[in-house]
Amino acid sequence: MDFSSNIASQLNAGTILPEGIVIITLMVILIGDLITGRNSARWLPYVAIAGLLIAVLDLCLLWDLPEPDGFLGSFSSDNLSIVFRGIIALSTAVTIPMSIRYVQQSGTSLAEFIGIMLTATLGGMFLSGANELVTIFISLEMLSISSYLMTGYMKRDPRSNEAALKYLLIGASSSAIFLYGISLLYGLSGGKTNLMAIAANITDVSGTQSLGLAISLVFVIAGIAFKISAVPFHQWTPDVYEGSPTPVVAFLSVGSKAAGFALAIRLLVTAFAPLTEQWHFIFTALAILSMVLGNVVALAQTSMKRMLAYSSIAQAGFVIIGLIAGTDTGYSSMIFYLLVYLFMNLGAFTCVILFSLRTGTDQISEYAGLYHKDPLLTLGLSICLLSLGGIPPLAGFFGKIYLFWAGWQAGIYGLVLLGLVTSVISIYYYIRVVKMMVVKEPSEMSDAVENYPEIRWNLPGMRPLQVGLVVSVVITSLAGILSNPLFTLANDSVTTTPILQSAVVTQQLPQETITVSTQSLESDLDTSH
Amino acid sequence: MESVQIPWLTAITLLPLLAALPIPIIPDKEGKTVRWYALYVALADLALMVYGFWENYSVKSHQFQLAETYSWMPQLGLSWSLGVDGLSMPLIFLSGLITTLAILASWKVNHKPRLYYFLVLVLYSAQIGVFAAQDILLFFLMWEIELVPVYLLISIWGGKKRLYAATKFILYTALASIFILVSGLALAFYGDNFTFNIAELGMKDYPLALELLAYVGFLIAFGVKLPIFPLHTWLPDAHSQASAPISMILAGVLLKMGGYALIRFNIETLPHAHIKFAPLLVALGVINIIYGAFTAFGQTNLKRRLASSSISHMGFVLIGIASFTDLGMNGAVLQMISHGLIAAALFFLSGTAYDRTHTLMMDEMGGMAQKMPKTFALFTAGSMASLALPGMSGFVGELSIFLGIATSDVYSQTFKVGIIFLTSVGLILTPIYLLSMLREVFYGEANTKLKLEGFGIDAQPREIFITACLLIPIIGIGLYPKVATNTYDVKTIQVAEKMRSVFPVIVEKQENNLNASLLSTWQSPGLIAPKIK
Repeated sequence: MDFSSNIASQLNAGTILPEGIVIITLMVILIGDLITGRNSARWLPYVAIAGLLIAVLDLCLLWDLPEPDGFLGSFSSDNLSIVFRGIIALSTAVTIPMSIRYVQQSGTSLAEFIGIMLTATLGGMFLSGANELVTIFISLEMLSISSYLMTGYMKRDPRSNEAALKYLLIGASSSAIFLYGISLLYGLSGGKTNLMAIAANITDVSGTQSLGLAISLVFVIAGIAFKISAVPFHQWTPDVYEGSPTPVVAFLSVGSKAAGFALAIRLLVTAFAPLTEQWHFIFTALAILSMVLGNVVALAQTSMKRMLAYSSIAQAGFVIIGLIAGTDTGYSSMIFYLLVYLFMNLGAFTCVILFSLRTGTDQISEYAGLYHKDPLLTLGLSICLLSLGGIPPLAGFFGKIYLFWAGWQAGIYGLVLLGLVTSVISIYYYIRVVKMMVVKEPSEMSDAVENYPEIRWNLPGMRPLQVGLVVSVVITSLAGILSNPLFTLANDSVTTTPILQSAVVTQQLPQETITVSTQSLESDLDTSH
Repeated sequence: MESVQIPWLTAITLLPLLAALPIPIIPDKEGKTVRWYALYVALADLALMVYGFWENYSVKSHQFQLAETYSWMPQLGLSWSLGVDGLSMPLIFLSGLITTLAILASWKVNHKPRLYYFLVLVLYSAQIGVFAAQDILLFFLMWEIELVPVYLLISIWGGKKRLYAATKFILYTALASIFILVSGLALAFYGDNFTFNIAELGMKDYPLALELLAYVGFLIAFGVKLPIFPLHTWLPDAHSQASAPISMILAGVLLKMGGYALIRFNIETLPHAHIKFAPLLVALGVINIIYGAFTAFGQTNLKRRLASSSISHMGFVLIGIASFTDLGMNGAVLQMISHGLIAAALFFLSGTAYDRTHTLMMDEMGGMAQKMPKTFALFTAGSMASLALPGMSGFVGELSIFLGIATSDVYSQTFKVGIIFLTSVGLILTPIYLLSMLREVFYGEANTKLKLEGFGIDAQPREIFITACLLIPIIGIGLYPKVATNTYDVKTIQVAEKMRSVFPVIVEKQENNLNASLLSTWQSPGLIAPKIK
């Protein structure tokens, strides 16, 4: 007993307690399913949600840890990672209620689905705090492989199979490229795996910045861009979004993306600090392409899920603005945007699921005249889409304003202007759906709406869906007006995270201070060994 | 500034918005409760305005009054900061009056009444917010909030081409409002002290290049709204396709947001750039007046003709604010108020006609005066006001603008003569197209194909009441303009003084002063503007 507690304190194992809670939940679900069989569907999802919420609660308790590094520096539970882990856990907690009915209706097992989703969540959470190459890669694979499984979960649906295969092939190759990039990084830094150590060692030889380092940067960014589906690494997104089960798409567009951004911040800001100019340049290109292509192509979509796929590409472009700004406000605007994006995007997906459960279609034209049959769904979807389009006073408006504000402050005027123009374009396709639902007269109703089933919330699995819908819609409408706590959270997480602080400082001060600060961090690491 | 105990402006701004929230759950049958509810809310807000301003507003000060500031999002620098001065107070009152009357005018809306009144009330709040905001980010927020309600109000309750018109409206306005944000951010981040407060922005010293760029940005954004000539194409569509009550609000209040913002930002905040751009504004004003008048001729649709006449009338506002005189500024504000009342009255009356004829094409009407004498009388009164008959408010507004530009000492004699000549051409065209409109609709033989049906042939008491509420102030201001000008005189004089006070600075800065360059031989006004360096 004494021995184990000793080990635990040496490893600082408390840092991964939230993940531990998720693992225990996962175990409970797997074993509970084995014991009680099919009936387990009644209580399993609630156990999962409860587990995730407890994990989020525990994350709150871990705020401002005096000693955030766990497992000999390979996992960091600093405030930045806490926020991102919170976003990922919350996104799963909101996704599960919307998947219950969907999975049951398709006749597949719910427990397995939730199990895989929790595994993916776990991967994402570890990825947000991973501070070392091996941990990063393992958690990335944990997230990716469970995502492949989930996209192909509707075994009898050929489109789901197609999506899974596409996702698997492209995802595996992007993982391989990413792995190649970090292996180069490992070699160039002289065999270091810890990000801080890598940064320090690369800086030492940076007198001759090798081609290898540049290649490694490009490969790493390719891997990250695949996860956040930034153009031109986005080709999988529309097809996978269209074919996969909708709850999975919801998770991919929020949880998985947030994990990708966490990885981007940590890896680029620490390990690639000497190459800041270069990765800023690449990300500027990614942002421009994502905003333009995502928003313009979304205009032409006829399927709701494909439209949301392109819209999520475009949203990633907006978030990158915060990353490129590279200031305190830049990072906190990213976090703030992801927080509100979580609710508005998941809210939109909840509505899409609800509509397809009742009518069996995702075509935008089939939404015509929905206002007359289902006002609640119309209201929810309208609010979420308008918020995605950045219409005040909804949450998305404030998120976008904050991103553009931070970008302007950092002096990247061109990107901000482009962001503003493309977000006006986005208003057009979001409002097109609203127009379909609200403006169309009863005589112009689509067939699907014409035969709209009676609204019944008492079917199994519908109640949680309703709760999820109401919660997301309420948060989307109020989080903007009452966003002060969210702002404070996002700001605090950035200003109290050492890696970002040193990065922000290095951008403003001359080169010498970089080595000083990183060396002092390295000596900290040495003492902890 | 002493703090006001009761947050009047917050209450006035938020009451309609908060009152709109329970609309979906009010027990209601066929929209009857909802419309009474909306009307009561609008009246309560109007009463709140009257009482609040009466008790707390002093016309003798050009400062912001009833000011309130609460920090909203300190991380963004956004504060909930409201205040009124001579510019905004009359316009807030105007929006209160017009929206209330528009709700009364919507009495017969029985299609999706809950949504309708919900949107109108949200729009009500947004309008007041735009005029009362003292923080440029808050201003932008309110400006944007108004977009979606207007879009839906046009696209659901509008005419045949409503979807086209609504989409055009939202794209134009949304695209233009980007410039508000960009210019606002550029000004806010300039210098050491970061602020979004409009008054503080006006006190900063900007380099001329930044001022000019920001000025262009604001001019585009507000030029779409006002509208200014090349940016106006959304207006005839939106105004003619919207239903009559919504056209009342669009023409009566939303256009004034453009004029108000031009004075507030372009002139008060960026006076140096305004000196450079003033000749361009005058030229654009003249183009607006003549272009609007000529296009009005070509319109066979009643509401499109009225919409074009709005473009023409808003040209006067541009000339007034670019005149650099007290009188011109005064006239510009008066013209906004008076056009708000007149346009609302005319659009409402065209709506009452439409309710009975079910057409807006003037060639399908004719001889309606015999069957609808009261409507005819009211319509004639409105048209007379619109063509600036002495004794009506339009006359006073346009006359002050004329006097303002004529007595302005910053423009050369030739330039002024040219401008006044061209403007008076526009002024002659106005009666022609308005009278021909009256002739086509009301005079002559009754069109046999025209079927008048609806709620009784002639205007009902409700409709007469609405028009009277608009005509009485029109005539009142026309006979005794001080009623209106008193409320903002002090402010416009201060604005004009501020504009003029900048002159010596510019003259010192540059070798050749504005006068000298304007004294050069007169060319067409469009050519002069770019010449001034």
